[in-house]
Amino acid sequence: MALSSDSSTSREARAKITIQNVSRSYESTRALADVSLSVTEGEFCCVVGPSGCGKTTLLRAIAGLDDPDGGSILVGGDPVTGPGLDRGMVFQEYALFPWRTVRGNIRFGLDRPACDCPDCEARVRELIDLVGLDGFEDAYPKELSGGMKQRVGIARALAPDPEILLMDEPFGSVDARTRGRLHAELLDIWTQTEQTVVFVTHDIDEAVTLADRVVVMGADPGTVQSTFSIDIERPRERTSRDFVDHVARIREELGSPADTSH
Amino acid sequence: MSTRTDTNASAVLAESFEGDLRRYLRGLGGLLVFLLVWWVGAMTTHPSYLVPGPLESVRAFLDLFATSTAITVPVLASRLVLPTGFAHLAQTLFHYVPGLLLGAGCGISLGLAMGWNGSLDDWLRPLVRVLRPVPPLAWVVFAIVWFGIHHTGAAFIVFVGAFWINFYGAYGGVEGVSSDLTDAASTLGVERDLSMLKLVALPSAAPQVLTGFRTSIGRCWMIVVGAELFGAPGVGYEIINASNNLAMATSVAYMFLISLAFLCMDVGFRLLEGRVLAWR
Repeated sequence: MALSSDSSTSREARAKITIQNVSRSYESTRALADVSLSVTEGEFCCVVGPSGCGKTTLLRAIAGLDDPDGGSILVGGDPVTGPGLDRGMVFQEYALFPWRTVRGNIRFGLDRPACDCPDCEARVRELIDLVGLDGFEDAYPKELSGGMKQRVGIARALAPDPEILLMDEPFGSVDARTRGRLHAELLDIWTQTEQTVVFVTHDIDEAVTLADRVVVMGADPGTVQSTFSIDIERPRERTSRDFVDHVARIREELGSPADTSH
Repeated sequence: MSTRTDTNASAVLAESFEGDLRRYLRGLGGLLVFLLVWWVGAMTTHPSYLVPGPLESVRAFLDLFATSTAITVPVLASRLVLPTGFAHLAQTLFHYVPGLLLGAGCGISLGLAMGWNGSLDDWLRPLVRVLRPVPPLAWVVFAIVWFGIHHTGAAFIVFVGAFWINFYGAYGGVEGVSSDLTDAASTLGVERDLSMLKLVALPSAAPQVLTGFRTSIGRCWMIVVGAELFGAPGVGYEIINASNNLAMATSVAYMFLISLAFLCMDVGFRLLEGRVLAWR
């Protein structure tokens, strides 16, 4: 499945998301203070940081679910004014509609008037196939395991064919083995769809496994501390020296040796 | 509900069957003890009309279906001849059903609107606080002066009762809609408030809305009998009517009839609820 793009096949090095001097405060806490960041089209960008560093707030601001107090966020050159089908979101606690089946959840974004798919049923089948949920089309979320729920969450976000996929600690609630498999599947999907991904996590191993670039945020107030390019060939071996080095450097930057991987 | 880790399915099944059987037997035992106490009580009480006995009551119940009574169907104004028990039950339903449905419809609508719309909530909340504690039967005086105590007046009282229970079911249901779900829907292209209400809030609130309605089925039976004690035709009126003639067994027979009617409605609605909420 290719992204309907008339640009050349090579990923252009232009900014898909531009975040400029964004600030956001809640009562007494400064969740984001003067955050600037740019994400290239087609890039897999992971954001790591301790809890309270505003990484989820930043993701929600890109999604248009949260309105920053200051600064600007541009997506494809246009300022974000609210949620849109060009940005799909995957939630930490799945946020599936419990009264809808797997098929019904995936179909949700395709039923909106703003979305015109020529054959929505075929699209749903394609996505069910993509995330490996054949045979569970008519199951309700309560009947699914955590990993399967998040597969539905990903397929649902992918359904309207967004250019950007925003993921908020999507695998935080699944067991380690399932998480490993979901990482491989997500990378497969990303390779096929050529989407821009912003992936929030507090798990450094996870970030280094997935990302082209890891953005490290610091807490109180939430700021971007530094970014690390991860140029290890995929699939990445967690025991390889390169991998271990990257993890160690990021952990040092975070300055929290207690925050070991889970 | 079993928390055992026993994996032998047939043993678990046999045990749950045994458990069910034990429960049924206990329930039956309770009923038998009650019947015995009732029977002894009736035997030893004088004068005998104070406590009609079980057998006498069953006979009176059967008698309800041995004779026929003609009733007038409201609105259509046509006459209908039915076995006496059904005739009076029908009279009750002529005001119970419209009162319940209309009250539930209005209560759910207002509950959804107030739960969803913050400024409407601000406007109406104090009013709701003031009106809510008034028992539906207190409205009987207005039912009488506005509508006269017939079907319309009784339906009005049932309406008030159904209204509040359903109002709170819908209100609480919509207030409890998770922001995760509305966020997910926004990122999937739901823009208009009304679409959000229809696509997310309403299905999410459905369990509480339906529980509210089921509760109102029972509550409205209590209210309807109360309303009929003031003179609206129906089973409640017949309870009083029979006792005025010291035919207490007939009063008991109508009490049975109300109980049966409620049971049928409750079981029917639970089945419906189970199907609609299969996703839970």
